[in-house]
Amino acid sequence: MILLDIFTFSGRLHPLIVHLPIGFILLALLFNLLSYSRNFGYLQQAVPLTLLTGFIAAVLAAVFGYLLSLKGDYDVDALNRHKVSGISLAAIAGLLYFSTTEFFLKEIPVPRPLFSALLTGLVVLMSYSGHQGAGLTHGHDYFTMQVLLKQERPKPANLESALLFEDVVQPILQTKCAGCHRSGKSKGDLVLVDLPGILKGGKTGAAVQPGNLDSSELIRRVMLDPNHKDFMPADGKPPLTSNELQLISWWIMEGKAEPGKALASIPDTVAIKAVAAQYLGFSPAPAATHDITQNINPDIPATADTTLLGNLRKAGLTVRLMLHKPLMLDVTLPAGSGIPAANVKTSILPLAKHIIWLNLSGNGFSDNDLDFLSALSNMEKLRLDKNPVTDKICGQLTELKHLEAANLNETGITATGLDQLKKNRAIKRVYSWRTAAR
Amino acid sequence: MCDHHEEKFRPNTPDFSKLNRQAGRRNFLTQTSMGIGALALGSLLGNRLFSNAPKPVIGNASGDMEQEILKAIPHFAPKAKRVVYLFMAGGPSQFETFDYKPVLEKLRGQNLPDSVRNGQRLTGMSSGQALLPVVPSAFRFNQHGESRTWISDLLPYTAKVVDELCIIKSIHSEAINHDPAITFLQTGNQLPGRPSIGSWLSYGLGSDNENLPTFIVLVSKDASKDQPLYARLWGNGFLPSEYQGVQFRSGKDPVLFLNNPEGYDGADRKEMLAYLTQLNQLQNSVYGDPEIDARIAQYEMAFRMQTSVPDVIDVKDEPDETFDLYGPGSRDAGTYAANCLLARKLLEKDVKFVQLYHQGWDHHGSLPANMPGQCRSIDQATGALITDLKQRGLLEDTLVIWGGEFGRTVYSQGKLTPTDYGRDHHPRCFTMWMAGAGVKPGITFGETDDFSYNIVKDPVHVHDFQATLLHLMGIDHERLTYKFQGRRFRLTDVEGKVVRDILT
Repeated sequence: MILLDIFTFSGRLHPLIVHLPIGFILLALLFNLLSYSRNFGYLQQAVPLTLLTGFIAAVLAAVFGYLLSLKGDYDVDALNRHKVSGISLAAIAGLLYFSTTEFFLKEIPVPRPLFSALLTGLVVLMSYSGHQGAGLTHGHDYFTMQVLLKQERPKPANLESALLFEDVVQPILQTKCAGCHRSGKSKGDLVLVDLPGILKGGKTGAAVQPGNLDSSELIRRVMLDPNHKDFMPADGKPPLTSNELQLISWWIMEGKAEPGKALASIPDTVAIKAVAAQYLGFSPAPAATHDITQNINPDIPATADTTLLGNLRKAGLTVRLMLHKPLMLDVTLPAGSGIPAANVKTSILPLAKHIIWLNLSGNGFSDNDLDFLSALSNMEKLRLDKNPVTDKICGQLTELKHLEAANLNETGITATGLDQLKKNRAIKRVYSWRTAAR
Repeated sequence: MCDHHEEKFRPNTPDFSKLNRQAGRRNFLTQTSMGIGALALGSLLGNRLFSNAPKPVIGNASGDMEQEILKAIPHFAPKAKRVVYLFMAGGPSQFETFDYKPVLEKLRGQNLPDSVRNGQRLTGMSSGQALLPVVPSAFRFNQHGESRTWISDLLPYTAKVVDELCIIKSIHSEAINHDPAITFLQTGNQLPGRPSIGSWLSYGLGSDNENLPTFIVLVSKDASKDQPLYARLWGNGFLPSEYQGVQFRSGKDPVLFLNNPEGYDGADRKEMLAYLTQLNQLQNSVYGDPEIDARIAQYEMAFRMQTSVPDVIDVKDEPDETFDLYGPGSRDAGTYAANCLLARKLLEKDVKFVQLYHQGWDHHGSLPANMPGQCRSIDQATGALITDLKQRGLLEDTLVIWGGEFGRTVYSQGKLTPTDYGRDHHPRCFTMWMAGAGVKPGITFGETDDFSYNIVKDPVHVHDFQATLLHLMGIDHERLTYKFQGRRFRLTDVEGKVVRDILT
């Protein structure tokens, strides 16, 4: 397992290493050709060493290249051409170096022009091999006139002129799938850049069965559990979004996987049209019907220093996280804690805007102890029951514009205080059980 | 006691030789493998060995993933902080409680039309009947509360709090017999083996009161035990066992052996437990069995319960008016009424999930004779629990749930006589209600047809109910998962939609 991973790792270095022999061998030819000139005659001495370095680098590149070829699903023919030419290249480079050694020259002296010709031939072979290799990585149409002259299909100007396959489905496949499924790097023998390739499919058969989602391998793969070994896109590449999936599915099912279907021909009532419009940027994202939207008070700051939470806990308060973002807290001081209000105050105030529910029930706090309540401006539920507070506390509570429920059971509250609370329209429920207000 | 307490804990007695040897071998392997393939191992184990995250245990290699899942909770701002689930085991009839069907009076005795039955399978108990005679409720209904909701006369106290309830008449299940149906409601699957709702919540949300279990179960002693209950209904399934429901016995001593035995003052128990924990940890360092962690947690919980439980079950300080509110049974520990009162006290202490079970609703025959008493045994205390929670302000953040595992048939099982009938199991629709935190009060959701046989509006599947319950507690039911035997499980399996229309 570990060995295998080292192989993968080294293999992926091939595209880097491969440039070393290219550089060295070119340099060897350059030195060799320049040495014919009188000014640079001395460069001939450098040719053997440069060539030797090029040979070693070529061998390394060939080994790493072989490791890479074990892992990737490359086009077999192109790979073979690259492999054979690459290995020959390394071998010939070695032979040429050997021909410059004294040992060899003693036996068979190589005439200089012949050596230069052979070296030039080596560079030609290298160009061929390099071209094949580049084709594997970037696709065989990467470096052709065809690509140069190819007309990009312009982005449709409006929804009515857009075509389902050409403007929606194909671009999705191009961005999400074509990285691996294209000519030259057709993993699983599958090419997803054009319609014939999609319909032809790969190793496991057709990628798409027109009108039949269940037997469309492409759909099955992208809908698997992301941890499944067959899941696509593989290796943690960005998966299809649910909208993209809907669009491709609709094209297969209703569009019968045919090209040229105009979005204009789809009635407005069909939901997919809105999805396509959104994909093409012609309409804003619709409110998703399955999402749960909660009315969260926008005044709550998104985050806070998390060490402050530790301080709250250290002060003896129980802290329950209500939401991560914005950070909403439900803070409880256990009843009968014996912790002085001053300590509660100092640990709570730095997080004042994050306290959404607060329970100080049964702690013997008086009105004066609780002078910090009005600072908790985002508080929604407050429990002060079983504390000796009086009507005086109500002044602070009327300032809390988000306070929904106030529990004043078993306190010194009276009807006067309750009347005062009515001024705060936000308060919907006040509990005054076992008080004089009843 | 002894002065070698500060030394590294490694008892050198023959009893421990095997453990010590294994610990030694383990160390050796860890160290050498670190030496050889540091680079490669680093890439494989890196974030486990060198991070501060808790070390995953053997047999639980997905420890990191679990931490990630738990860290993301809460997914929503919760409306409810605690749940009390009043489980009416046996399948209460919707016809004699909440689903008023006056049309049936005219159809009394007529065979259930095939167009209504629509191929529904019947249980073996009534499938042999030549006739499936439709039978209306033997009991009258009246409208109650500001919401003018129809409630059976058998539930006068529930009727008084009807404006607090969100009555769902369109719950439907997939199982037609007790065991699979009750297991389905509790765990989301008809077959045993998955965690109960309370265990999921306990696992996902942790505890708000470390001195009491997070999930407590109370079973009424004053109910006819016509259908059995079993501990796996509140079991932890594949979750670690500290998340299982803790059943309090229905009697004077809800938890046994909390008192110290005679002649022992308990002074050094803490020390004893600390030593036991060390022994367990030594064991755990070799075997890495999560159940050892669970056992350590349970011993510590038991120790804390020695003081917390006597405190919470003590009803000495409750005034007479409380007992009057909950009804005559409430002074007799272990009855439904006393359990309701105890549930309120547990909720006051922030116990997260309290589940009551009350059996005896399986009225295959003699329904008119048995139903009034059955309803009476729960009605007053149920109403009282709502009233009590409400006046104390606890209904703000407590969710109350009432319901059984399925409904009952519109046709009479057995012979229909002017005064007698029975009703068989019916999974296609039944009534449950919720009240309190986050649900709309005083509404009725969902409708059934004139036979209360099929749902005609707003069906709520059991998984939808479970998804809604988790949602109210701040959890996205699709994201609270636990990987077990190669598959990630969740309470709602692969289904469930939050019933948004009943949320406030």
